[in-house]
Amino acid sequence: MTEETARRALVPVAAERVRPRGRPLRSRAAPYALVAPFFLLFAAFGLFPLAATAWLSFFRVDLTAPEARQWAGAHNYARLLGDEFFWNALSNTVLIGLLATVPQLLLALGVAHLLAARLRGRLFFRVAALAPYATSVAAATLVFALFYGRDQGMVNWALGVVGLSPVDWQNGPWASKFAVASIVLWRWTGYNALIYLAAMGTVPPELYEAAALDGAGRWRRFWHVTLPGLRPALAFTGAVSAIGAVQLFGEPLLFSSGAGASGGADHQYQTLGLYLYEQGWVNLHLGRAAALAWAMLLLLVAGFGLVRLVRGGRGRGAR
Amino acid sequence: MSAADGRERAGWGTYLLLGAFTVVSVFPLLWTAVAASRTSGRLAQSPPPFRFGRNLGRNLSVAWTEGGMGEALANTALVAGSVALGTVVLSTLAGFAFARLRFRFRGALLLLVGATLLVPPQLGVVPLYLVIARLGWTDQLQAVVLPSLVSAFGVLYLRQHLVEALPPELLEAARMDGAGTARVLWHLVLPAARPAMAVLGTLSFVAAWNDFFWPVLALTQTGNPTVQVALTGLGRGYVPDTSVVMAGALLGTLPLLVVLAVFGRQIVGGVMRGAVKG
Amino acid sequence: MLAAAALLAGCATDPPVPPAPGAGSPVPTAGRPVTLTVGVYGTFGMKEAGLYDAYMRLHPDVAIRQTSLSRTDVYYPQLLTHLTAGAGLADVQAVEVGNIAEVVGTQAGRLADLAHAPGVRREDFLPWKWAQARTADGRVLGLGTDIGPLAVCYRKDLFAAAGLPTDREEVGRLWAGDWRKYLAAGRRFAARAPGGTAFTDSASGVMAAVVSGAPLRYYDAAGRLVVAANPAVRAAWDLGAAFARDGLTARLQQFTPDWDRGFAHGRFASVTCPAWMLGYIQDKAGPAGAGKWDVARAPRPGNWGGSFLVVPSAGPRVAEAAALAAWLTAPEQQAVLFERRGSFPSARAAFALPAVADARHPYFGDAPVGRIYSAAAREVPVAPVGPKDGLVNQILSDTGMLQVDQTGRAPESAWRAAMKAIDNALDR
Repeated sequence: MTEETARRALVPVAAERVRPRGRPLRSRAAPYALVAPFFLLFAAFGLFPLAATAWLSFFRVDLTAPEARQWAGAHNYARLLGDEFFWNALSNTVLIGLLATVPQLLLALGVAHLLAARLRGRLFFRVAALAPYATSVAAATLVFALFYGRDQGMVNWALGVVGLSPVDWQNGPWASKFAVASIVLWRWTGYNALIYLAAMGTVPPELYEAAALDGAGRWRRFWHVTLPGLRPALAFTGAVSAIGAVQLFGEPLLFSSGAGASGGADHQYQTLGLYLYEQGWVNLHLGRAAALAWAMLLLLVAGFGLVRLVRGGRGRGAR
Repeated sequence: MSAADGRERAGWGTYLLLGAFTVVSVFPLLWTAVAASRTSGRLAQSPPPFRFGRNLGRNLSVAWTEGGMGEALANTALVAGSVALGTVVLSTLAGFAFARLRFRFRGALLLLVGATLLVPPQLGVVPLYLVIARLGWTDQLQAVVLPSLVSAFGVLYLRQHLVEALPPELLEAARMDGAGTARVLWHLVLPAARPAMAVLGTLSFVAAWNDFFWPVLALTQTGNPTVQVALTGLGRGYVPDTSVVMAGALLGTLPLLVVLAVFGRQIVGGVMRGAVKG
Repeated sequence: MLAAAALLAGCATDPPVPPAPGAGSPVPTAGRPVTLTVGVYGTFGMKEAGLYDAYMRLHPDVAIRQTSLSRTDVYYPQLLTHLTAGAGLADVQAVEVGNIAEVVGTQAGRLADLAHAPGVRREDFLPWKWAQARTADGRVLGLGTDIGPLAVCYRKDLFAAAGLPTDREEVGRLWAGDWRKYLAAGRRFAARAPGGTAFTDSASGVMAAVVSGAPLRYYDAAGRLVVAANPAVRAAWDLGAAFARDGLTARLQQFTPDWDRGFAHGRFASVTCPAWMLGYIQDKAGPAGAGKWDVARAPRPGNWGGSFLVVPSAGPRVAEAAALAAWLTAPEQQAVLFERRGSFPSARAAFALPAVADARHPYFGDAPVGRIYSAAAREVPVAPVGPKDGLVNQILSDTGMLQVDQTGRAPESAWRAAMKAIDNALDR
């Protein structure tokens, strides 16, 4: 369809054949002129901060006087290795990430499967699924924080109604991680469901027909035809969710109004992103925050490297 | 957009499950409105309220004026609009160059852009903050807009789209006709890229509207807050009134929900199309 | 945000502040109206007490706008980043006592010297308060607003229901001289406590009050961090933990919405009560709590909290801002602030003013808060403050004692966790 658009667009160009205007496309400068605006900003707001962070991470820099920095060598990195708060944040990040991502993708898969059926009010269901995606981190977290209140929260009230004892959602090491993860889960399940739904649309119908002829039931067709077709989408959403999990920040920051950047009294839901914020903007150690930032990047790169390595034998990746 | 294996008509079980999912998706938003219509005293009681109260107007107006949500909404609309527009323009230009033009370092530059997809936004904030401070941009909206224009995803997405949607023969023909860059952009690239531009614009707008980490650092509740910054202030602020906080959350979310309700079909289509390409 | 609080406090109907004699000498502003901004945290009360309105009446060419953030742990890092950036600052900024040493130590070049601002007289202030904001070379970067002499606020109805005395003199005698008697009173309360109520709000509140009476807290006079080895801190910790162990607290975290609700629903019968706490209670307990609360003397004197006003020198209106800061902290205005909001003056010249000495607080059963807090202020110990006082305090409370209180973590283990967190935060 887009090709048609493009082809039709040729007509006016062709009509002007008589008197060419403007600089010809062959101009050497043209490509550079086209990418220049992007790369100008990319250099200023993408690359420069990246490099400067690397540079800063070798200094002892205090937010009270960032210009007065002291060379610290690898101190900030060495400190990180022995920093139990870092390891705690890393493990929290992984756990919350798993708690948020795995059920989210499975649920999304199920919802996509449901949405793929022939439905009345199809658009309504799809739009409603996107409502959480349109809700901001801050708004969602503020509401969920109320739901999870210890004394007057709706969740504990509901638990009481069915005869269960209340849970301390802020202080429980697992309860709090689950609660924070549930906010992520809520916000992104519908979005991912639509992505899977779209990917399902790209599976050739003949495959289903063939499977149906072979007498495969609905779930066997889902398992043997749909799921393999979804592999690129699964890889994509998995990667995006992993990146999102490592960067998780707003949910734990706002989850409890008393905890702030500490992520709970025992740092029980402090993520790496939150720990970075605490180091830089509460403890005021910009150098250590910078080292932490690079550690996060290296962890992601290592993680994805590992995934590629594991999948290496099985041919090309998602795209 | 034909349903994939939707040959069978949905049974009541499907509707039941989808209904449950829809309720879970929408309930927190509905309850935000309920909470915003109550008093904080009522919210402090158990069981929580499930029906609307009479304080919606008052709470909204307190959040609007005292909570700064009015100013924040205007700021956010400006920021999200600029980011969406700017990202689309920059990404289309660069995406086209990467898709169809030959120039030195093309491969290397493309790799560089792709590599930054992995970079967490937290990585650059320390020096970025120092730069913003040096420029005197703290509490200024451009401090939030300009860094957000750099979208590696946008460039890659537009490139991918144009590789598929803009056949080289077309460009060759245009070249033979001696069309200038501007004309090619206008008459060939723009029409071909339009669907992808719409998707990118939508996604960028939502992302910018809900952007959190950097705005919370670069802006303050008291300067030039976006909705997220103002909400953070409300949520962690000296507010005697939970219902006002909920009213603020409602105000900050409502515009996007209205947009979603009005342009639901397009946005759903956008998310799905973005996904297939992404 | 604060206006909502102001509505509750009913300040809209307060009579105007009488013009202060001797203070507020006009500053030439070249005839153009200027807008001065004041950045504060929490309930600072200057707006609610009508001080800004009074100043604007004295200076028709000046408009004052206040911006407020919640907790100092949100406010302070933002202030620092803005100071280092030289941007995004209010003309006048508040600084909490826990941060003043760091501000004086690291931000001297970015703040105006207020020692000679119009109307500022050194002898008006408590000497130690004045000294806390003075640099080694004698510049004064902050003017004291208030201090936090200690009392105990309590609910008469709940005390009566539990068989404790309700008269403030008797209540004071109940625990006079020793914080352990406060614990004993708590046990008595618990034995006959009305359902759903606890003796006090939080173990952290007790700890903070006890530690605020120590002559040495987190730093020694030489500026060394001594928190881990200081027996006074440990004693305060142990007492707070005893409250938690005996189940005498409502297990709330101070300055959170849950705590606010605790006030609103009368979930605890007493709270350690620096003077500035009066304003909080009034706001949070609201009309429903009027006449139920009262104020008694604390077991031991202490000084918890208190603040300063500083003027960033990067601002475009430093002279006007300094004049405003000087006026706001002049004895007459501090007296008004106490009278209206309960923040106790750091200007000793204000102690004798009738507005302070004879002050009674209608919300607290007409308690003679002037007499109670003046007496407490005279006995306040002067402890050295260090650069990270605020952070250390926050970690002791929110990482350490909060766990003892809310999750039942063993005090010894929680103490070690807090010490580790302090070492990490201070990059030691």
